[in-house]
Amino acid sequence: MTLGAIYALIALGYTLVYGVLRLINFAHSEVFMVGAFGSLFALHAIGFDTAHAPPHGLVLVGVLVLVVLAGMIASGVLAVVLERLAYRPLRKRGAPRLAFLITAIGASLLLQELFALRYGRNALAFPRLLARSTAFKIFGAPVQVPQIVVVASAIGMMLALDRFVANTKLGRGIRATAQDPETAQLMGVNINRIIVVTFILGGVLAGGAAGLYGIYVETIRYNGGFIYGIKAFTAAVLGGIGNVRGALLGGFALGLLENYGATVLGGEWKDVFAFTILVVVLMFRPTGLLGEQLGRSRA
Amino acid sequence: MSRSIRSSWRLFAVILSLALVSTACGSDDDGGNNADDGDGGGNAKKYSIAYVGPKTGDAANLGINILYGAQLAVKQFNASQSDVKITLKEFDTQGAAAQAPAQLALYKDDASILGIVGPAFSAETKAVIPELQKAGLVMISSSATNADLPNVVNPETIFHRALPDDKAQGAGIAQFLKEKHAGKSVYYIDNGDDYGKPLADGVRAVATANGNPSKGNTSINEKDDLFSAAVNAAQAAKSDVIFYGGYYAAAGKLSKQLSDKGVTATFITGDGSLDPGFLTNAGAGAEGNIVSCPCNLATESSTGALKTFTNDYKAEFTKDPGTYSSEAFDAANILMKGIKAGNTTRPKLLAYVEGLGTYDGISKTIAFEDNGNLKATTVYFFVVKNGKFAPLTNTDEL
Repeated sequence: MTLGAIYALIALGYTLVYGVLRLINFAHSEVFMVGAFGSLFALHAIGFDTAHAPPHGLVLVGVLVLVVLAGMIASGVLAVVLERLAYRPLRKRGAPRLAFLITAIGASLLLQELFALRYGRNALAFPRLLARSTAFKIFGAPVQVPQIVVVASAIGMMLALDRFVANTKLGRGIRATAQDPETAQLMGVNINRIIVVTFILGGVLAGGAAGLYGIYVETIRYNGGFIYGIKAFTAAVLGGIGNVRGALLGGFALGLLENYGATVLGGEWKDVFAFTILVVVLMFRPTGLLGEQLGRSRA
Repeated sequence: MSRSIRSSWRLFAVILSLALVSTACGSDDDGGNNADDGDGGGNAKKYSIAYVGPKTGDAANLGINILYGAQLAVKQFNASQSDVKITLKEFDTQGAAAQAPAQLALYKDDASILGIVGPAFSAETKAVIPELQKAGLVMISSSATNADLPNVVNPETIFHRALPDDKAQGAGIAQFLKEKHAGKSVYYIDNGDDYGKPLADGVRAVATANGNPSKGNTSINEKDDLFSAAVNAAQAAKSDVIFYGGYYAAAGKLSKQLSDKGVTATFITGDGSLDPGFLTNAGAGAEGNIVSCPCNLATESSTGALKTFTNDYKAEFTKDPGTYSSEAFDAANILMKGIKAGNTTRPKLLAYVEGLGTYDGISKTIAFEDNGNLKATTVYFFVVKNGKFAPLTNTDEL
């Protein structure tokens, strides 16, 4: 459930960009990774390293907010930079879809290697912010405080995005562009602006996920986004790529399936189990569980 | 000139520039280590040895440890005399069997290369042994520990390693359990690959026979961040000791998650975890964890020649030596000693290494079996103390 919440937040970035641009932004996994580094550096900037004792009370709340905000800012900025430097020039030239895909993969590898060169290939550790104390038990299984914080924060962010897309002018612009970009433009929607907003939203959510990941998993390395990117992309497809609520459902479903597979069959069978279910679902519902396009999603 | 033609010329210019840069980089690679390049070494005879292993990729940390050990040996050798100048040529396999043949093609036919420090890992070594045998190119690996490597080709003469194999490590860990945790129960976790699973299974077989009952075993996928199923299983097993066969990144996370779950069993793991990355991932909960290695890690607490090596290494690279650094230093020195003694062709250097007898290295006394395995089977144990690896004991002392 906890990892499922993180998958879902990252999946929203894939699904938003796909909904608007029909582009699988494979560099989104590095947007997540950079957010985690941003969160870690923010902690270092205020003097929190691994030797620091966990904070309490209001200080704890402030630090948690800072970690998530720093991740959001780092990822949001990177997402916009990627859009401006990598994708917009291709759009202006009317490049084929394949060019976008290769550019995305190239940007992903470039960012990984840059961070490996700058910060090394070993993991960097986050300081412990939340003690691993058990809050309550569900059917005998202990639920720890960090898990509650991650899931609750993630659900909050998802709800905020859902309301934003459904109720705001920019959200309507995103939906209109996803449904029919040419008509949207004729109706006065600034497509370039909408695309930038879409990348920012996806980046900010990935950054939020990265901050929560840092709080929960407590390490990050240069390729730390890769597996999460693959899993989140899978979650987006499982739920229905291009569908905001589908991404949420897909993320949580994948997290639960993985956990169930690991418990029943053993850790090494976790992915086999989860991806077998994915294949079976797609055989019967090729457009995913909800299968709806972003443009048709309703509040 | 039309826009499309201008674009074509621009593209051509870019490709030409990249080709020129690539050529320049290629010639730099060929030069490898610059310990003697262009130093006007007078009448010194010039020969090369090669480092074959990862310089980039996920396993780069271990590769760099080995490379630096070999670089330091070459630098000190060249500075210590003026008759022979050795160049260390470096070939980056990324530690992967898939990359090894492409690099092999670069060094196999380079007649200046007389011997190899490496290949670094078992899988990449296995991939090139047949071709190395055909080329008569002697190799001394400082880190490839798979027990089957001497049997890849028959007859085999070129294979040698400067540390005991995984079978010896498994037996050594079982001996450690018998002596230091007599009668205590053990739960086994492995990473399911060709290194971790045989190691854990090997320890389990011998330790169970030695009177350390097994409380069960499970596998994890090292790409995961959370190992909840394995942690819950280990907690339920209530063993006195948990042994993990796998690599440092996952070992560190596993140690931390066990500690967070309140599991107090002694955590023991193998040489794949003897890396600072283990300490980073494990955090404060790693205090008291034990890591074994058939290698003799040079640390601040080392004594004698190993201490001198530690100081020299630190002065040269501004970092502590890592896993396999001291073995790589010994491997390079064996090859260079042979070359200095006049074994300046591949067949002669191979014959020299085959008939080495004993070499008093900084890591250990090195003598090879007929199949290239090390005669010594000493396994070293390190304990995490104050956030660092500290020597604990070795199987000779048990």
